[in-house]
Amino acid sequence: MGGKNYTPVIKGLTFDMKEGEILGILGPNGAGKTTTLQMLLGILTPTSGTIKVFDKDLATHKSEILEHMNFSSTYVDLPWRLTVKENLTWSAWLYNIPNRRKRLDQIKELFRLEKQWNMPIASLSAGQKTRVNLARSMVNFPSLLLLDEPTASLDPEVAAYIREFFANQRNVYNKSIILTSHNMSEVENLCDRVIILKDGLIYGNDTPANLAKKIEFSHLRLRVTKNFAELDKLIALRKLESINDANNYTITIKEQLLPLFLYELTKKNISYTEISIDKPNLEDYFMKVAKTI
Amino acid sequence: MKIHRIRGIFLRYFYNLIHTYDRLTDMFFWPFIDLLLWGLTSRYLVSTGSTSNTIILALLGGIILWIFPWRGQYEITVSLLEDLWNRNLVNLFATPILFSEWIVTLMLVGIFKSSVSFVFASLISIFLYATNIYSLGISLLPWAGLLIMFGWVFGFLIASIIMRYGTKIQTLAWMSMAIISPFAGVYYPISTLPSWAQTVSHWVPVSYVFEAMRTVVAGGTAPISDLIWPFVLCLIYFVVALFLIISSYQEILKRGLISVE
Repeated sequence: MGGKNYTPVIKGLTFDMKEGEILGILGPNGAGKTTTLQMLLGILTPTSGTIKVFDKDLATHKSEILEHMNFSSTYVDLPWRLTVKENLTWSAWLYNIPNRRKRLDQIKELFRLEKQWNMPIASLSAGQKTRVNLARSMVNFPSLLLLDEPTASLDPEVAAYIREFFANQRNVYNKSIILTSHNMSEVENLCDRVIILKDGLIYGNDTPANLAKKIEFSHLRLRVTKNFAELDKLIALRKLESINDANNYTITIKEQLLPLFLYELTKKNISYTEISIDKPNLEDYFMKVAKTI
Repeated sequence: MKIHRIRGIFLRYFYNLIHTYDRLTDMFFWPFIDLLLWGLTSRYLVSTGSTSNTIILALLGGIILWIFPWRGQYEITVSLLEDLWNRNLVNLFATPILFSEWIVTLMLVGIFKSSVSFVFASLISIFLYATNIYSLGISLLPWAGLLIMFGWVFGFLIASIIMRYGTKIQTLAWMSMAIISPFAGVYYPISTLPSWAQTVSHWVPVSYVFEAMRTVVAGGTAPISDLIWPFVLCLIYFVVALFLIISSYQEILKRGLISVE
């Protein structure tokens, strides 16, 4: 996105997605995640390039495409004086939903909104508002759903339920979902593929597992009981990063060096009572991207 | 353009109206206060013998007819402002809604609310002062249409400015019609104005409506041919205002709707 008076946020972005795919878009703050979603919703005009959804050009078929899409964002509020029911009712009219009452009853049940149904949006908690936003996004049973931080401000139990709900939408109804989130485990569990944005460009585009594999380092956690000084010397000698919290060591080490390092611990008579090895995950990859900015 | 979408947007504004005391006050309280004050003033003037009985109908008719342009403009700009205050513009336009459907709905909301206020004010006028605006006859109906269109013109003009520059200039929503009212001749003949202001009035289409109303109140007739020039003028303004609001919308799409506040 650019122009004579604007700072470009997205500088080059080309991607496609399959029907029934859950695609995550990750990136540090200001990387262009929300901007990307806005462009996909037609509420931000790109200065160049084309966006095709359902094989149609968004610029010329916006209304037709958006009939089969929907979105939910924590950054967008619903009219706060209207009740939950009223907000979903006017939304249902926009999409000309057949059997509107039945559909709204289903939505009410699916998103556990029975108690809040006749309450104004203004009186709801942040988590309840997020649930209403998500409910509104499902009013038209969209083929493509854009979710911007869908579980932000939800309590863990509801967040897990919502994640399961959207996974089912894909598994049962073959719905496509584009998701942005700062919750890495959520993205890792839900998404088939992840695009990492950095400074308006694609930095990574692969499955969460493959992105994690690009990180060579594991975290070795030890509860050390003897020969701390020897361990500190060894860490310094091998030039490793480590954190020592009351003799609980977390050492960042390349995976292929692990066997040798463990052998050296035994050789130097360094004793420990607990050991665990954390394999690299999506969060490690994300942290690497964030640090390189 | 799809009727079901217009119905959806209309419902949204209707629900907001029934939950918002400010909007209900605008519809009923202010017309009531205006009628009360001006009705009593004109009664007093009649009682002093300094003026004729027709002054009551002329003044109250002016107040009641002014509801159309005032509400028409107000509804368009305040509806936009409420969407901006609620960070809600995205919820509207990230849906299949066409910009033209939103525009048409705001025009319909303006007609609906001004009609309710008009009926309420005319009944109050009959009840308090036995003055019946409907006695002016249906010949004034096309003139009322012109008043509504003028309200839309100002509504779109102000909305287009607010879209570009944000809520920091929101006071225009309340000011704009007040600025134009002296030149509209709502309560007095245009001839009362100084000559430079009369020149301005010639370019204000609604001034012809209030002149026509006073002619009818005084027992004369307002031929439909007198409507041609103000209608053409208003239509030109309407096209310009539509062009401005569409170009403002396209401009804010370049910045992103989420950035408008």
